Amino acid sequence: MEKGQREKGQREKGQREKGQREKGQREKENRVLSGVHFMQGNYAAVEGALAAGCDFFAGYPITPANEVSERMSQRLPAVGGVFLQGEDELCSINAVAGASLAGAKAMTATASAGYDYLQEGLEYGVAVEAPMVVVDVQRCRGENFATQADIMQVHWGPAGDHEMIVLAPSSVQELFDFTVRAFNLAEEYRTPVIVLSETTIALMRERLVIPEADKIPVVNRKWTTKTPEEYLPFKADSEWGVPEFSGLGRGYHTIYSINPHDEKGSIEWDPDAFERLYTRIPAKVARNRKKISTVQRYGLDDAKVALVAYGSEVRPCIDAMDVLREGGKKVGVMKLDAPWPFPEEAIEELSKNMDLVATVEMNVGKYAGEIERACRGRCRTARVTKNRGLIHSPEEILESLSGFEEVR
Amino acid sequence: MSSATKATSIRFSGFGGQGIILSAVVLGDALVIHRGLYAAQTQSYGSEARGGQCQSELIVSEKPILTPIRATNDILVAMFQTAFNTYVDSLRKGGALFVDSELVKDLSRVPPETACHSIPATQIASGLGNKMAANMVMLGYFAGVTNMVGLEHLDSALAENVREQFLDLNKKAIRAGFDLSLGKA
Amino acid sequence: MTFQVNPLRKYVREDRMPHFFCPGCGCGQVLTSFLRGVDALSLDINKMTTVAGVGCTARIPVYMKTDTLHGVHGRTLPWATGIKLHSPETKVVVFAGDGDAVSIGGNHFIHAARRNLDVLMIVVNNFNFAMTGGQVAPMTPAGSVTMTTPYGSGEPPFDLCALAVAAGATYVARAATPYIPQMDNAIQKGLEHEGFGVVEVLSQCPTHFGRYALGSGSPAKTLDWIRGVCVSKAKADTLSPEELRGKLVTGEFVSVSRPVFKGSTFLKDENGGRNP
Repeated sequence: MEKGQREKGQREKGQREKGQREKGQREKENRVLSGVHFMQGNYAAVEGALAAGCDFFAGYPITPANEVSERMSQRLPAVGGVFLQGEDELCSINAVAGASLAGAKAMTATASAGYDYLQEGLEYGVAVEAPMVVVDVQRCRGENFATQADIMQVHWGPAGDHEMIVLAPSSVQELFDFTVRAFNLAEEYRTPVIVLSETTIALMRERLVIPEADKIPVVNRKWTTKTPEEYLPFKADSEWGVPEFSGLGRGYHTIYSINPHDEKGSIEWDPDAFERLYTRIPAKVARNRKKISTVQRYGLDDAKVALVAYGSEVRPCIDAMDVLREGGKKVGVMKLDAPWPFPEEAIEELSKNMDLVATVEMNVGKYAGEIERACRGRCRTARVTKNRGLIHSPEEILESLSGFEEVR
Repeated sequence: MSSATKATSIRFSGFGGQGIILSAVVLGDALVIHRGLYAAQTQSYGSEARGGQCQSELIVSEKPILTPIRATNDILVAMFQTAFNTYVDSLRKGGALFVDSELVKDLSRVPPETACHSIPATQIASGLGNKMAANMVMLGYFAGVTNMVGLEHLDSALAENVREQFLDLNKKAIRAGFDLSLGKA
Repeated sequence: MTFQVNPLRKYVREDRMPHFFCPGCGCGQVLTSFLRGVDALSLDINKMTTVAGVGCTARIPVYMKTDTLHGVHGRTLPWATGIKLHSPETKVVVFAGDGDAVSIGGNHFIHAARRNLDVLMIVVNNFNFAMTGGQVAPMTPAGSVTMTTPYGSGEPPFDLCALAVAAGATYVARAATPYIPQMDNAIQKGLEHEGFGVVEVLSQCPTHFGRYALGSGSPAKTLDWIRGVCVSKAKADTLSPEELRGKLVTGEFVSVSRPVFKGSTFLKDENGGRNP
């Protein structure tokens, strides 16, 4: 979004909400820490959130996500926001939903076992179209070892119909960048967005460059300018559109119910209204799939073998690719910035151009099933999995691939 | 594009409370902020870190670092015998080893052609009034030997990562280690 | 013949009428009592946010011209916490049934009380899970037959008001639908209170609690049973513990003032200093 637009949005919001303006005057620290840092991943997610305008955070202690809460508790009050340590994750996610409907840019962070508890809050966020951001630092069941085992849950966790947006950073820099993007997508599509972090990158310290504040794009939800009489809270301009937002306490008396509701927000069991609602809600994300689920291509132009990965596993894939290319093998890597919504078109294109598509992931082999489905038998597929609490080494990837004639 | 060839992997090891991770963080901070290098610092966690052992790996490179963990290290810093025993096998041939001479006495498993540096870091730190600063004595010595980073950069990184009340002690410890490396001690 | 419009109708979503409560249900009485309080205090209902979870009670706010959050069981107080912390100027009232408030929502209940979250929570206690068909709930009297306690309930009930007081709520009162002026008074005081207020309203569910536990689906008989278990606080002070067994004391239990919740940690408003 253009800077001018952003400022206009901020001005409008400021005029609407007196309380917010007062909070703004209480800023004691810089919201955006522009410059070069050597920063831990969990901290980078916090700085990304703040740069995107986060003003509400709720979290419950869990390793390895605690540094997110700890830094938020220090930084957020100093920039005019509110920090809440919920009595449990159920409190955290639902407080995030409440704050979001009140107009906040709200976030929670947890790790896998805590993520389980978020499902009903996410389901509510989907249904009432509340922008929310969740950081899930994936860890092994009961231990803080590295894994990508939540890859399916982050899409399919909540009951009911939805198309979840899940961003998978692969570095400390991307934990910053993707958290900014998560807020922007949440605001644009009025939906929960998951930042799928991992033990590996969350606890790692790396070089992080935070741009100047005016170089960071910030998107705000579209606040309605209609009068309460003409406003329909769940009416969008198309079958995949996003309704305008009215917020709480401004005289629009809107019902934000998880129950089936019509455009007026009335709780209504009308099969047509239900079908219309749950056509539009997944469609507003799915129709924008190509825009949301960007991919990065490394060496794919002349490749016959593609390694597909998301999150931290992209890193050893590129190292492995370099070794193979030095040996004359035409291998490339496709990095999925957002595993969900599934980048259908990108994988389809890949399958048409490759002899072999190998999915590399740090679990028993989960997302690979989706990749194989999308390849539809047009090429060979392979699974390179590791499920022992540690990121792949390039050598392990090379060894897994050595059995395939396409690579030999 | 490969980082494997250009990067240096340094493993800091010891037992919990020796400031092992802090050493890696301070060095990484100094290299990234003041020398414009790339660095990736990781550490043990979970039950791997129990039993008192502690390790942190710092990979340093002129290019962005991909795989953040190496099977073999170019440099091993060991502040305790059990840590040395655990990690010495990951030290590559022709690498460098830094140990606390009082706490790591059995060096029998050192690989060939290793540049060995054994210094009384804990003893020097005790002399400065707090043996907990042994990690910084070692870091100062390390900086002097490797020329990776200047004292002023370490000081600046310390200020970012250490509470003010401990700043002076840590700076003194770094200086003491640095002086030792120059044969001035 | 002339008709006079009920002055409370301006607060109601007329397009949602008729309501979905069973004939003889107490929820309508609570709704009306609440609106009388809003009217008496001249509160701007348009700017108010009401919060409800799941259950019959949770449908009360749906008929009022407020902003309303509805439909996740037991999470009313987390929602209210998020709203109040982000926009403290918004008046927030929670409507919860006994199950929503202290069965699935019990943890949130004690923590909201401890924090003195600035919301009024009206707990409509109809002694069972009504919307789901009459199952045992945390305030079902011991021994009662319900759909999940066919041999009588082996579950001792909570004293909700005692729980609220112990957890730190700053306004706590119990009222009952047979005693409307008392209910109006408790709700109105709750609306005026700054801090975490709990008003427990004992209410009749003839359809389920009446039929299964009391052996009659008659609203009048259910109301009679409530009258029979209610003892005013003034009278209760003169009775022995034995005489109070199985009784529910109505009246005001606490009304005190202490700082309201602003966040788990916050900068002091003045001078930008840290919160002690």
